Amino acid sequence: MIARAAVCPSPPLLARELTGRALVLPELREACATAVARLVEPAPDVVVVVGGGAATASWDPGDRLDLAAWAPALARAGGRGTPGLPLALGLGAMLLDAAGYAGPRVMQAVGEAAQPEKCLRLGAGLAAADPAARTAVLAVGDGSARRSPAAPGHFDERAGPFDLAVEQALRDGDMAAIAKIDPALAADLMATGRAAWQVLAGALDGGPAPVGEVLYADAPLGVGYFVAVLDHR
Amino acid sequence: MSDESAEPREPGPLRLGKSEFAPAAKLIMAIVNRTPDSFYRPGVTWDHQKALERVHEVVAEGADILDVGGVPAKPGDEVTVAEEIRRTVPFIETVRAAYPGLVISVDTWRHEVGRAACEAGADLLNDTWGGWDPRLAEVAAEFGTGIVCSHAGGLPPRTRPFRIAYADVMADVLDHVLSLASKAVRAGVDPARIIIDPAHDFGKNSWQSLEITRRLGEMTAAGWPVLLSASHKDFVGETLGTSVDNRLAGTLAAIAVGAWLGARVFRVHNITETRQALEMVGAIRGDLTPARTVRGLA
Repeated sequence: MIARAAVCPSPPLLARELTGRALVLPELREACATAVARLVEPAPDVVVVVGGGAATASWDPGDRLDLAAWAPALARAGGRGTPGLPLALGLGAMLLDAAGYAGPRVMQAVGEAAQPEKCLRLGAGLAAADPAARTAVLAVGDGSARRSPAAPGHFDERAGPFDLAVEQALRDGDMAAIAKIDPALAADLMATGRAAWQVLAGALDGGPAPVGEVLYADAPLGVGYFVAVLDHR
Repeated sequence: MSDESAEPREPGPLRLGKSEFAPAAKLIMAIVNRTPDSFYRPGVTWDHQKALERVHEVVAEGADILDVGGVPAKPGDEVTVAEEIRRTVPFIETVRAAYPGLVISVDTWRHEVGRAACEAGADLLNDTWGGWDPRLAEVAAEFGTGIVCSHAGGLPPRTRPFRIAYADVMADVLDHVLSLASKAVRAGVDPARIIIDPAHDFGKNSWQSLEITRRLGEMTAAGWPVLLSASHKDFVGETLGTSVDNRLAGTLAAIAVGAWLGARVFRVHNITETRQALEMVGAIRGDLTPARTVRGLA
């Protein structure tokens, strides 16, 4: 069964090393730390990190983000991470490490273009993998990257309502609404979290309806970031 | 190479005054001339009060070292030892009182001036004329101060290069400054307080100054901290065809190349611009973390 779930965003700038001397978006970092602390607080048997990637694939639990892919200078400062590890999985692993979680973990990438049915099935399979285990799920992904004129994908007027609907669904624990997000619209709006959220919806399906709490929902740099915790009633 | 030349050494910390600077640190030496007739903005800090205000400015802008000079490099009316002391020493005393921790350098070739400056609190003797007065190193040893060992092609102080030719200008520079460094160590100067300087335009035409800029890596490879003094000099002006007031971009380009090749001290008129150029080079080299990076990372 799913003991608890959390949602975090995946901007590279969450890696402290990548923002230079400045601490960027401290509120977002704090919200992520809080969400992951609460995720691992019930001492789950395993944490499943789900994040969008180029393809659906399992990665090794020991894999870590290769910061040098974003900042080559960092390759000289420390060891290289895992080449090709999807950003969302790498940041999820980083957040778990920062929370002091050292237990078993599963690193599951889902193709960002995967259709909703496939995502839901993948989630259901992860939840059923070990029925006796108390599993925590960390779904890592972002809302639209078209929230403002300065956004990476420039402004799209559909982005605000799209993200607002996601935020509301997370707040309400409404996984059915998450399951129904249109993949074509999400792709148009550069919302890279859609597939991972739908894997989470599949994992929670069949269990008790969750209660959502949104710790952060904003787009300070034009990309929608959500931090949420989903718990049992 | 002369047999007096020092062997290449491992780059170590540079000690100036009470401070110690790691090999990766880039230091800015701000020029404040107590002269009525220096080549760049002549007389701007001739007045004691104006000079002091300039010190406040350069310190606020982040200068690490103050270089006080009382005699222009170019030929002109004689400045006696007494007059040079009158121009520089009381000023150094005032600055020392105002900034107990600031590294103060005096730009002089004369040991009498160096001695008076050290008594007033100077930390470094900037001997731009290539060791013309051998007793200057003895003063540095006696007071425990630093010294800049530079190359002026053997020219007497305040003379211009006249048809000067070198088989290999960088070899001549290295031979001379390493020999001076070796002599300074033998005189008792702390090796961690010795800086070497190719001295752009001193005993060099513009071609030769460009060459020592291009080959500065050969100097930094010797292991001694290298000082680069290119600010607004004639080799920049002749290269760009610009008047003395339009040489900042060329100066910064020379500084960037020097920083890339490992120079550690930069003697300049423009502190903020130099700081930015050095930080940019530092970030390109990977020695400095950028201030704030979010573009493409949101």
